[in-house]
Order: sequence, then structure tokens, then C-alpha cells
Amino acid sequence: MKMLNTVFGCALCFAACTVAVAQDAASTTTASEVLVDLNNPCGVAIQPETGIVYVADSGNHQIIKVVDGKSVPAITDFPADVYGKGPMVNIGPLGLLFLDKSTLVVGGGGKPDGEELLRVYTLPEDGTAIKADTMKTSFPLAATDDVKGEGNFYALAKSPDAVYVTCNGDDTKGWVARAAVDGNSLTNFERYLATKEATEVDAPVGIAVSPEGYLVVGQMGEINVPGDSLITFYDSVTKELRLNLATGLHDICAVAYSPRKQMYVLDYSWADPTQGGLFQVLEDASTESGIRTKRIMTLDKPTSMAFDAEGNLYVTIIGEANEANSKGKLLQIPAGL
Amino acid sequence: MNKRCINIICVMLCCSAGLSAADNDLNSVPLGLKKPPVPSDNPMTEAKVALGKQLYFDKRLSADNTVSCASCHDPAKGWSNGEPNAEGIGGQRGGRNSPTVLNTAYNRFQFWDGRAGSLEEQALGPIANPIEMNLPIEEAVKRLQAIPGYRQQFQEIFGGPVNADGIAKSIAAFERTVLTGDAAYDRFKAGDQSALSPQAQAGMKLFFGKANCSGCHGGSNFTDNAFHNLGVGITAESPDLGRIVVSQLPGDRGAFKTPSLRDIERTAPYMHDGSLATLEDVVDYYNQGGTANAHLDEEIYPLNLNDEQKASVVTFLKEGLAGKSYPLMDPPSLPE
Repeated sequence: MKMLNTVFGCALCFAACTVAVAQDAASTTTASEVLVDLNNPCGVAIQPETGIVYVADSGNHQIIKVVDGKSVPAITDFPADVYGKGPMVNIGPLGLLFLDKSTLVVGGGGKPDGEELLRVYTLPEDGTAIKADTMKTSFPLAATDDVKGEGNFYALAKSPDAVYVTCNGDDTKGWVARAAVDGNSLTNFERYLATKEATEVDAPVGIAVSPEGYLVVGQMGEINVPGDSLITFYDSVTKELRLNLATGLHDICAVAYSPRKQMYVLDYSWADPTQGGLFQVLEDASTESGIRTKRIMTLDKPTSMAFDAEGNLYVTIIGEANEANSKGKLLQIPAGL
Repeated sequence: MNKRCINIICVMLCCSAGLSAADNDLNSVPLGLKKPPVPSDNPMTEAKVALGKQLYFDKRLSADNTVSCASCHDPAKGWSNGEPNAEGIGGQRGGRNSPTVLNTAYNRFQFWDGRAGSLEEQALGPIANPIEMNLPIEEAVKRLQAIPGYRQQFQEIFGGPVNADGIAKSIAAFERTVLTGDAAYDRFKAGDQSALSPQAQAGMKLFFGKANCSGCHGGSNFTDNAFHNLGVGITAESPDLGRIVVSQLPGDRGAFKTPSLRDIERTAPYMHDGSLATLEDVVDYYNQGGTANAHLDEEIYPLNLNDEQKASVVTFLKEGLAGKSYPLMDPPSLPE
């Protein structure tokens, strides 16, 4: 924390800088395919205690879990929508997060802005599938006279006392919302960080809590502007932007820390999917931004990721996508990152 | 991040302006703006900017000596031309509005479709374009080389004869000095509560809120530097398809670059085809939700602003974003 305080003044300067950021060549890491029958998968989370992988099979409007290498419905019949500038993709549930073994928080994407819901589910002990409208509780961020309603709750991250949610409703502010953790539920869902006002860059999407407790937001930027993605660090209590790093990446859509406390991001790279992939973020005093990114693996439109307790990394990718057909996958990258 | 690493970054940032003490004038920017990025291979110098200014205003860079950059990007007309589209050599007209040169120093892309990635890349395009200045670059180089005053300046600045690269770099360097800021909005933001009238303040609140303007026109230069489909002209028999022609990405169909809004009142008419004459027309267009089409940007939807709210937004645009530092300038003396 002390070192980040030291750099606060400088960190603000980064917002104005277009900087060349070093990027390493791809490593030799390989991934195995866990599931290949998904439709626009957009979220992944690991169930505590069991290690079962849950995936937001967004284009099929359901959440599935991986059982014996197969996809098994867990929560079905989410509201549906179509999203994107091209390709257009079907969406339903987006971000996933477990509060504990039986409590799953789901960020919605299938309803209009302002009506969209952050939902909290209690999963049945017997493992049977439930319907999307059987949530324990849910929260919208409705429109007011002055403020646009929120929707597309892309990604979720948890600190000891709160869950943070990236939103895509009000593009004038770029909200990260916050809900307080109350036992095995949530309360007080509210707009919290106006990331666009802080960074002048659009679209908070990827989010994580760093090992030091900072809220780390991957600011995607404009999808048809290359190289404008940021990694930003906020003090989650004071809301201060503490560090704002140009990455040279195109569309950061997920942020995660490995059990070894190494930082990784996914780059969707809308304008040129061949540039997308999994990247490690490394400090490097020789670059203008103080960081460099190392390509771990090239991926076709990656969307979300989560490490399990052993350090295996699960990544969802859209793959070839259009309105009728997506060849979305869940990949596993073995522990070691 | 460790402390050592960040300390090094601090030093780098302090040095990053890349200008000597002698170039202090070039290093200052109006209130509200940041220092524009400058390519490492084209550092700003007073001499280069002066040369670029001469070239910018010199009609000898057109085939029949009738058109200069300033013909379509006139300082007296918001660094545009006051007409829906540009008039080039022989009265020929293009299909697009002349984009202002104001604050193009901050643009990630140049031209409405973003086909140039820098001012240097853009600078030579209109000279050679058959319907603009129609002078092949090789011919332009020959002409300038035949003018002693230009020959001498190129020798002093670039250490050699006139060449295309030097022309581009000089014009780009000059254009990087065409900055407008220090607007009432900037002074209001800096703490002067009297800088904006009550109506402009109401418009500002709408601009950054319900009217959703800052969804795209955000940041210190009031642009996201991206491309959006607003539906302007999309129902024409052969619509201008914009960015997709460059990017080949389906999602860019009918999308054009977001322009800066600084000193927007001076740059009428508006939109990529100059089809909207006034800011009132523009606000009406957004209020109706653009023109429906398959690729209409998600940020374009009916705003439901009433007449008073629309008037307030227009007041903010006119009063709030007019730069006190507007760079009105006369043509320089040109070398013979």
C-alpha cells in the first residue's frame, strides 16, 4: 500500500499519456478444452469446497456446471437479449461469483438497462437445476430523471465486505457498482465508482481485488480504438484512483490474480481477434508505463477467467460467433501461472 | 509495482515533454487541455512550425495555385470551411464535411473514417487528392525546391533538400499548435462559478447526464476518438459507409469518427456530411434517437429532452465550449 501511495501523483499523469508498452512474445503454455458446446460464455466461477466449475452459458441463457467433463444445467431460463456491434451475440447471465459454497451471485445481461438485475441464489444441496426467477434476492440500478439505468453486469469481484460489479449502462460515467456483503447475502447495491470520470476512458469490464486489497479495474476502452485499454487501481474505501496504467492492449475484459499473486488479463481485441489472448502483467522499469505484458496464449475472443484453489485457470472464449451459432468453449490451463 | 520502478517512471514522466527550454511557447497549452502527444521522430521546433504554417497557407501546393490547406480549413471559419462539404480544385466537391483542424493534435485517427493514424500521415493526402489540391507529391516537392525561401528552410530544419517527409512533418507540427481551450467550461471546472450562465450550467448537467453527450464526447477534448453509427445519411441510395471501408469490420458500417466539440459553434455545419446546419438541428437529431439502422450505435436512443432542456444543451455547447484561446490567425508571408 505504501508504494502505491508514493506513486499517486505520478499515476494520475498516466491518463494523459499514450505510451508504448512492451509486449513479450507468446509463451508455450497450452490449454485443454473442457467444454466445446457453449454459446457466448461470459462468466466463470469456482464453487468453494467442491471445486466445481460454473459457467455463464450466456447465449443459451443459463448457468451450467461441469460434471464429469460434461455441461449440466444449474440455473436456467434467464432473460435473453442480443448484444454487440458485429458479430451480434445472444446474451443472458454474465458475471458469476460465489459468496460461499451454496450462494452464487449472478450479474444479468438479458434485460433492458435499468431493469437488469444482480441476483443472489441459494443453490440446492441436491444439485438440481433451478429457474432464473427463483433467486433469493435481486437488485436493479434503475434510471432516475438524471441518471441512466444500468445493465450488462459484466464481471464481479469480492472483498471481505463487499461485492463489486462492472456495469455498462451509463456511458457518461462508467460505473462500478457495489453491494455490501451481509452474511450469505448482499445489501445496498449502488453506483459506486465513476470510472470514466476518473480515467476519461470508457467501459469498466474486468475486475478483481488485488492481494493488497486494491480494487483493480480493467478499463476496456473503445472497441474500435486499438491499444487504449487501461489497468487501474482504486482504493476501495476512499474511491481514489491510485494507479492508471496504459497497457497497449486493445479490449481488456477480465482481470485475475493467480494463487502465486501474479496478475493476468484477457484481451478480447474486437477489431482484430488474432491479437486477443491471455496476458501476464509484469512490472518493468524500462518501459514508459512501468509495466509490460507477456502473451501467455492467443485466444479467440476470450471473455472471462477464474483460478481454482490448485492454480488451474479456467477461461471462457466465444470463438466463432454469430446470432445463430456460437462455438464457445471452456478451456483449462494447468496450474503454474 | 515497486517503489524503485515507480520512481523511475516519475523521472521519465517529467522528461517526457521532449522539448527544450527554447521551445517553451510550444510547450504551453490552453487551460483544460493536456500536452498533445508528439511523435518522437518529429519533435516540435519553432522553425518547423513556422515552415508548416507557410505550407499550410500556400496555394502553390495545388495544381492550379488556387487551393491551400486553409481554403477548406480556414481559421476564420472554425478551421473548416463553413459549407456542408469541401470545394477543391476546379470547384470539385467531396461528399464529406471539412473536419476542423482545431485540436487534431489529440486525435487518435485523422479523417472522418480514420484512414490516417497521425497528422503526418494525413498531411499529404489532400495535396495529392484529385478533387482537392490535385498536385502529385513529386511535383509538390519540385515546386517547393524551386523556391529559395523553402529550399533554405528545409536545409536548415531537415538538413537536406525539400522532400515529402519534411512537408508532412512541417504541416503536422504546425497543426499541433492549432489548439483551442480555456473555455468557460474549463474556467468553471477550475473553480470560477461565474464562468457559466445558469442555463449553460443546466446544459452542462444534461450534457454529462440525461442527454448522454459525454458518452462519446468525453475527456478533455470532448471526443472518445472512436467511430459511431448515428444513422446520418444512412437512408441515402448509396450511403457513405464510413469506417467499415477502412477497417472491413461489419460493426463499423456507417460509423464515423467522433469529432471534438471544442469551439463547436464556429465549425458549422455539422456531421460527417455537413447535413445539419445548426447546433439546434444537431441536438434535435440526437433527441429523436438518430436514424434507425441495423448498426445504429447503442448510445443513440431517444433522449426525451423537452424544448427547454434542448436549448440548455445548445447554450452549453455555444457558451461553455467557446475557447478564449481560439487560434484566429492571418496567413504568413510566403517565401519567394
